[in-house]
Amino acid sequence: MKTAFNKRLLVVWLILAALTLSYSWIDHSLSGSLTASALVTSCVIVIALIKVRIIFREFMEVRQAPVVLCRLADAWVVLIGVALLGSYFIGTAIR
Amino acid sequence: MSAVITPPESAATPPAGPLHQRIVWHLSRSPKRELWLAWATMLVFYNMFFPIFFIVAQVQPPPQPTWDHAMQVHWFNERHLGIPLGLGIIFAIGGMNSINNALIAYSMRRMSITRVFGYSYLIIYALSAIPGLYLLCIALIVGTLRPERNPEAIEWLYDFAFLSFDGTMGVFLIGSLIWMVAILIDKNRVFPKWFGYLNLCNALTELVVAPCWIFRRGVLAWNGQIAWWLDMVVFGVYQVTFIVMLFQMIRREDFGTGPLPDLPRKKKVAA
Amino acid sequence: MAVLADKTERARFIPGQADMWAFVLFESLVFTAYFGFYLFYRTQNPEAFLHSQAQLDLRVGVLNTLVLLLSSWSMARCVQSARAGAYQAALRDVYLTAFFGGVFLCVKVFEWARQIQLGNNFDTSDFFTYYFFLTGIHFVHLLIGFVVLGVAVYQLRSPARRSQQLVETCATYWHTVDFLWVLIFALLYVVR
Repeated sequence: MKTAFNKRLLVVWLILAALTLSYSWIDHSLSGSLTASALVTSCVIVIALIKVRIIFREFMEVRQAPVVLCRLADAWVVLIGVALLGSYFIGTAIR
Repeated sequence: MSAVITPPESAATPPAGPLHQRIVWHLSRSPKRELWLAWATMLVFYNMFFPIFFIVAQVQPPPQPTWDHAMQVHWFNERHLGIPLGLGIIFAIGGMNSINNALIAYSMRRMSITRVFGYSYLIIYALSAIPGLYLLCIALIVGTLRPERNPEAIEWLYDFAFLSFDGTMGVFLIGSLIWMVAILIDKNRVFPKWFGYLNLCNALTELVVAPCWIFRRGVLAWNGQIAWWLDMVVFGVYQVTFIVMLFQMIRREDFGTGPLPDLPRKKKVAA
Repeated sequence: MAVLADKTERARFIPGQADMWAFVLFESLVFTAYFGFYLFYRTQNPEAFLHSQAQLDLRVGVLNTLVLLLSSWSMARCVQSARAGAYQAALRDVYLTAFFGGVFLCVKVFEWARQIQLGNNFDTSDFFTYYFFLTGIHFVHLLIGFVVLGVAVYQLRSPARRSQQLVETCATYWHTVDFLWVLIFALLYVVR
């Protein structure tokens, strides 16, 4: 059983690493241009939140936690997302 | 089934009755009256401290570090009565702080840890009132005494007051950490562990305010959104929480040396 | 298979102390507030922020993120090992976590030194104020993380202790340091 868990954890890390490397790809495809972009920012933030949720569920074992904690962790990811995207878009609108 | 044992008539049982009667009993005849008096003093102090600072003297939220001489002189003039009055009251009630600190140190005495924690906390907080409170009060009162004072001297007092208030958080940082470690290694369950972690959150905000020594504008200035506003939110949560935690501790206190008993649940229904 | 039956029948449990979870959720809110201010002020001055941000090296950020994710991986393995009773393996995993944490620390200090050499300081520009502030406060959390790992090592070493709950609590804290960095990395290095 321990090997099953270890394999799962390794797969999780590989997924997180791939998502991290996707940033390199994004940066590469933007290379040179120094322009603000709401699309890029939103995608980057969403990818980060996906990573955070994976860390919650797999590394921090929320998957096996009581339903209350599962819901709370998901709510937190949404809350952080709303706060970040909200700050960004409100700022863009005010400017 | 044995007969229900009637609890012996003792001075330690609060009388049933309306709330104000029970409060009077707790403050006069309960074996815990000294603890309750200390806690009540703490409540009175904070209920006076915040209105005085925010409404009477209006020295918080702090003004901007970037103001020129004219604005600063104007700020002092607006408060030429509020500051001496309000901060004068602070001088009078400032000693209540020692009672707050004693109650917190008491909570550490009740824990299963060495007395070093309680005594260190007392010493640190006894000293911290000077940079953390009195220097601001003195500097601002001096600033309002002579409206015709040289504007550069006024600016000096202005900077000195707010930097001493916000920038000397190191003592509070160490104090919070002492209480945190005490709570986390305590085996008498005087406080729940999450309260220990909240002390860490508070300690970290003391770090976050430190950049106010460098920045005169922006989010990390002494009036900045992060260094002041956000820190005040965390500090406010912490304040209210520790007042409630100390209240619960006194209710649970059994004057023993073992684990502090939990409060009896009210909903025990006989089957 | 016995393994599958085991999984479905195992009771749901809170990993580590619920108290630590309360701390994690509260602290992540505080950090979210920091991030919110950063993003807002970024939109007020995009050119300046972009210009300063261009001086960061994304590869260093990616490396640091991968390293910290590795440290979370080894810490998660530690919890599994401890749960299965393989305490020597668990100890090795904690030491591995500390090693990866140490690598992160060194790379971070090296990156700061390089930025300062390039002339970018705490008060050089708004972007760099946020950069040093966010990475700095995260660094403090990382240092506390080493103390927490120390607690885990202390627990795992002696058969008289080995509290699974405490090891899980330490892991929960460490993973928090990791996911906070994931957010910081995205916001400082990649966001436009």
